Amino acid sequence: MTPLIRMERISKAYRGVPAVREVDFDLRPGEIHALLGENGAGKSTLTKMMAGVVAPSGGRILLEGAEVRFATPSAALAAGIAMVFQETSLIPSMTVAQNLYLGSERFLNRLRGTYISAQQFLQSLNFPVDPAAMVDTLGAAKRQMVEIARAVHHNARVIIFDEPTASLTPEEKRHFFALLARLKTRGVAIVFISHALEEALQISDRITILRDGERVAQGDTADFDREKIIAAMVGRTLSGALYRKRSPDSLRKPGRKVLSVQDISQGRMVRNTSFSVFEGQITGVFGLIGSGRTETFKIVAGITKRDFLRGGTITLDDRPVRYLTPAAAVADGIVYVTEDRKTEGFFETMSVAENLFGGLLAAPHHRAAIISLAEMRALAADWTARLNVKAIDDSARVVELSGGNQQKVVIGKGLVQKPRVVIFDEPTRGVDVAAIAEIHRIINNLADSGLAVVMISSYLPEVLNLSDRILVCRQGRIVEELSPLEASEEKIMYAAVH
Amino acid sequence: MLLRNLDQARIVLAITVAIFIAAALGLPGFLDPGNLIAIVRSISVLGILALGMALVVIGRGIDLSMVAVMAMSVAWYLHLLNAGWGDHAALGVTLGAVLLIGAINGVLVAYAEVPAIFVTLATGSFAFGFVRSQVITSDAVNVPARHWILTLGQMRPGGVPADIYVFLCLAVAAFLFLRFTKWGRYVYYAGDNPVAARNSGMPVRPMLVLRYVIAALSAFVAGLLTAASLQSINTRVVNSTLLYDIVLVAVIGGIGLSGGKGGVRNVLIGAALIGIMLNAMTILDIPQLYQNLIKSTILLVAIVVDGLLNPRDEQTAQQGDI
Repeated sequence: MTPLIRMERISKAYRGVPAVREVDFDLRPGEIHALLGENGAGKSTLTKMMAGVVAPSGGRILLEGAEVRFATPSAALAAGIAMVFQETSLIPSMTVAQNLYLGSERFLNRLRGTYISAQQFLQSLNFPVDPAAMVDTLGAAKRQMVEIARAVHHNARVIIFDEPTASLTPEEKRHFFALLARLKTRGVAIVFISHALEEALQISDRITILRDGERVAQGDTADFDREKIIAAMVGRTLSGALYRKRSPDSLRKPGRKVLSVQDISQGRMVRNTSFSVFEGQITGVFGLIGSGRTETFKIVAGITKRDFLRGGTITLDDRPVRYLTPAAAVADGIVYVTEDRKTEGFFETMSVAENLFGGLLAAPHHRAAIISLAEMRALAADWTARLNVKAIDDSARVVELSGGNQQKVVIGKGLVQKPRVVIFDEPTRGVDVAAIAEIHRIINNLADSGLAVVMISSYLPEVLNLSDRILVCRQGRIVEELSPLEASEEKIMYAAVH
Repeated sequence: MLLRNLDQARIVLAITVAIFIAAALGLPGFLDPGNLIAIVRSISVLGILALGMALVVIGRGIDLSMVAVMAMSVAWYLHLLNAGWGDHAALGVTLGAVLLIGAINGVLVAYAEVPAIFVTLATGSFAFGFVRSQVITSDAVNVPARHWILTLGQMRPGGVPADIYVFLCLAVAAFLFLRFTKWGRYVYYAGDNPVAARNSGMPVRPMLVLRYVIAALSAFVAGLLTAASLQSINTRVVNSTLLYDIVLVAVIGGIGLSGGKGGVRNVLIGAALIGIMLNAMTILDIPQLYQNLIKSTILLVAIVVDGLLNPRDEQTAQQGDI
């Protein structure tokens, strides 16, 4: 079969640092092509060159045999190549229909006509989305449907999905995969970037694996399995430690009860939820997006406030607390490590050392008013070694690091505050396979050293293998507590959705 | 390491030196000691204002009320003195008003989360309108005879006007605060990422209020020095381009409007460039209108360059993401 798109010895360097090195890639009509690799392997860059978002610095792109050079994403779109971004590129204050026809409005743009044709179009795709709804009222899955509809509407022959399933529930994922299958029968070629290897194995026809900007494997999906993919991605075979079966003596016994939460509420997101956290063990919290797990623990960490009336009680060491600022929680030894490191985790214009030092400066035990640069360097040397942060040196800026190393810096920034309770929110989101193992080791060590650790995660293998007890969150409350010995992915998921 | 945009600061420094050399060679009288002192004196008031502005801008804010606070507080102070008030009472009242305006700015920005540009625009107009309509009856207020402000204006320790010493002292104080104290570092963290700073447990909101209070205080000091050198304060300065000069000094020196960047060094470089340029234009006898045109063009270019050098935009950030 002749390929729809062919990239030959394509390269891209950012300020001299190669991101993609002489990669050959081809895409056939009607295939789902999974593009896999660790963070920083060059997957996004490769597809962005295809979609005209970035210009290649070497090599060439052939569209149906003819060389093309896209100056802008809209030029690529006109040629039938659409990219559905990780962060959706919809306009939140407009309706679904307006977003759908964005950029292709007529001069006299009658809204009613737009709604009718949008309705018909969405129905033809079998998308249950109201065209008159404002985009900011939609959930992640429906937003994604609108994005996909927009790509299909532009008669895209190639659709690139960058981490499409990260924010979807299992139910929504099934719908999404069914849609991919339908697009495929229409002859649309699909590039599928994902961290979820199981999904790639399940739905793709072919797999390409990148490592450090180079293509290390390509072939039919039937020739791959999980171990083979991971080995290609990290360049060595990882032990299956993450997926072992738990034995009873691998569970840590609960220590003293540190935190007791009774009936806390916050608007519609957190409703009368109650639970306890113990020293010396990992309390895993599973819940789907929108189940209120992040909101619940942001209240505990003083980042947001619970309802003033009937907001419930939080007791720390038998002492009722109500934090007005995160500073008060930090002073009591409660540290929250965010799920969104870019917007509320690290200081992007600053170096690794300055980021770690920021945590120390805000810590209650750091009383000196005059800062010492020697202290900052010592702190940075100590913690980059402890957390195995890979950077050129301490003065490297955090934005220049890979996702896994950024996450380690954010974790380190919290740990230098010497907390007693650490709340990790999605500690391995957007983190490469090798760094996941290291972050898991860090979390385990913290619990072994007697800290109370809370780990919020929507990655089931992680919840099952790290937690000493599992709390399941649904519709703003903790609905179930399971022991990892009795729990299985199915049981947890059942509690989370029903 | 602490000052990231070394490059911009260096470029501006090179331009400043180039203009200085060109002016020294081409303009008669530029290198006279009297003229050089005049340059430094002209930038000391601007520099003090720019120090206050820099503190706010590094924390990712902006204070458009500074010139109004500067002119109206001093006008009120002098008016009270002329009306026969004692020095302490008059100073107490006006200083209280200055602190109040700064605190209102800070509280509205920090706790009510209103954009700084609107808050300070409104409080600035309010300060001007209130004092001009309720307190003073003419545009200008004179310093009463034999007052310490007049003495201050005539002091020449070592042949150098006193305002220059005040500027240098404040610059050193600001430098030590920003560079070596914990709270000075908080300014940078909050300017870089306010949410992350707050979640880490830094006192982001109280620090924000403090910055606007310090900015208002620096405006008051600048106003006193203006009154000292001119022996009066003219409230029409509020409608002049002084405010843009302050922003120009901060931005051109390399203090990014997106926050978290720059320091006292950048203010000094920016002030030097503007001072030398204005002086050269005055010697060349370029009319005020054209001077404004040139300044506004430079400000526009500086802001555009700042936007390119310090992008803080989702899409640009994504482009760098591999």
